[in-house]
Amino acid sequence: MSKLQGKTALITGGNSGIGLATAKEFLAQGADQVIITGRNQQALDLAVQELGDKAQSILCDSTQMTHIRQLAEAVKALTPSLDIIYINAGISEFAPLEHITEDHYDHVFGTNVKGVVFTVQQLLPLLNEGASIILCSTAGVQKGFPGASVYVASKAALAGFIRIWATELAGRKIRVNSISPGFTNTPLFDKVGLSEEQKQGAMELYNSKVLMGRFALPDEIAKSVTYLASNDSSYVTGTDLLVDGGYKLT
Amino acid sequence: MSKLQGKIALITGGNSGIGLATAKLFAQEGATVIITGRDQVTLDTAAREIGDGTIAIRSDAGQLADLDALFQQIKTEFGGLDILFANAGIFKNAPLADSTEALYQELFDINVKGVFFTIQKAESLLRDSGAIVINASTVAHVGTPGASLYAATKAAVRQLARNLSMELAARRIRVNVVSPGVTHTAIFGRLGYSEEQAAAGFAHLAGEIPLRRVGQPEEIAKAVLFLASDDSSYVVGEEILVDGGYSTIGTPGVQR
Repeated sequence: MSKLQGKTALITGGNSGIGLATAKEFLAQGADQVIITGRNQQALDLAVQELGDKAQSILCDSTQMTHIRQLAEAVKALTPSLDIIYINAGISEFAPLEHITEDHYDHVFGTNVKGVVFTVQQLLPLLNEGASIILCSTAGVQKGFPGASVYVASKAALAGFIRIWATELAGRKIRVNSISPGFTNTPLFDKVGLSEEQKQGAMELYNSKVLMGRFALPDEIAKSVTYLASNDSSYVTGTDLLVDGGYKLT
Repeated sequence: MSKLQGKIALITGGNSGIGLATAKLFAQEGATVIITGRDQVTLDTAAREIGDGTIAIRSDAGQLADLDALFQQIKTEFGGLDILFANAGIFKNAPLADSTEALYQELFDINVKGVFFTIQKAESLLRDSGAIVINASTVAHVGTPGASLYAATKAAVRQLARNLSMELAARRIRVNVVSPGVTHTAIFGRLGYSEEQAAAGFAHLAGEIPLRRVGQPEEIAKAVLFLASDDSSYVVGEEILVDGGYSTIGTPGVQR
């Protein structure tokens, strides 16, 4: 278990769900240092406590450009350079076409597209030769669902980033890929205000839409991110890895 | 390093190149490895290289009778299989005007028919929660002059992974695809080029690839290991491109 020996990683949105599971897996694979970001100090502190003394946190709200513009400085206070950045922070907000507001659009694109561009740009000078950048997309790009148009479009934009950045950064041997998780059992589900009964109903409905008949565990997504982060994928760049339990197929 | 401890893995075309690199990696990860190939001498050499306990069986992936004999032997000796890497395949190219019926037949017999019936005949031996990985190619994603038949065979097997994933889902057998880009194997030698010409060929191709080098068989093997192991437990019907960015990037060379 030493795939990431000697590596320093930064995970945005690393205090819960897939981000936190990935931080755990990175450390389990021997990473030297894992820095997580998030917008809630208390949640960050709890996560760092759980992760142990190789983990550190930076309070950074990825929906706020002012926070993003200060990220590199904050990272430099913790490490001179990075080997892995996993851009996991993003927002999932849904609205059918007739209910899409300008605020909804600006919020989703501002975080999931603009926020990603300037986060990666900020961190670029800190990246070591041979670093790995992983962006979090969604299986919804491959097969959508009603109400998700703005969200899915924002994630689809990442396909352009990974291809072009892979070319632009190949000279520094930096690889750029994305991961597209399907339905994943994360606290996000608890945050949208469903009752336990509604949650159960929703899970059953979604389970029936997935070939494997179940949601992903955050740990399963984390292992795929680790594949892309480690030297195991040294010849993989400019591509997307779909981890959706066969949602796209059904 | 024991991601495949106790597993029995069959790798067709496991006597050279990507197949051999994968067999070595699987063995390192604790699997019992069975390799097939068409040439007994290279099979025996490969089996020794992979290590003790490796089984080498002469079997032509394009011959259904060979496949029947292969799976009968596996059934007798092992009783079942956990992992199948359908890797055997050939590369030949020709422009449209020069593509003969014989070339068509040869490519499709080994690369498509061989893969399909290997999986069909392996199915009853595969244990629940097993994994199948098919070796396709990045050429199924781009246009390559002269490679139309080869690319078509690889597009066909990429699609197989989708349909067979659906059919095998009830048994929790996952079917996925690895699509290598240009990989440093004996491919040029097989096409009749000298070592010097092969080196020049790889150097030329490297210039077309964003990472500015061709892939090593070991790099493809690691993707196969990911897909064959529980690390990819939620990945099904999917493909990993291991091509240094070759297929996803239209015009490498800009901005460097």
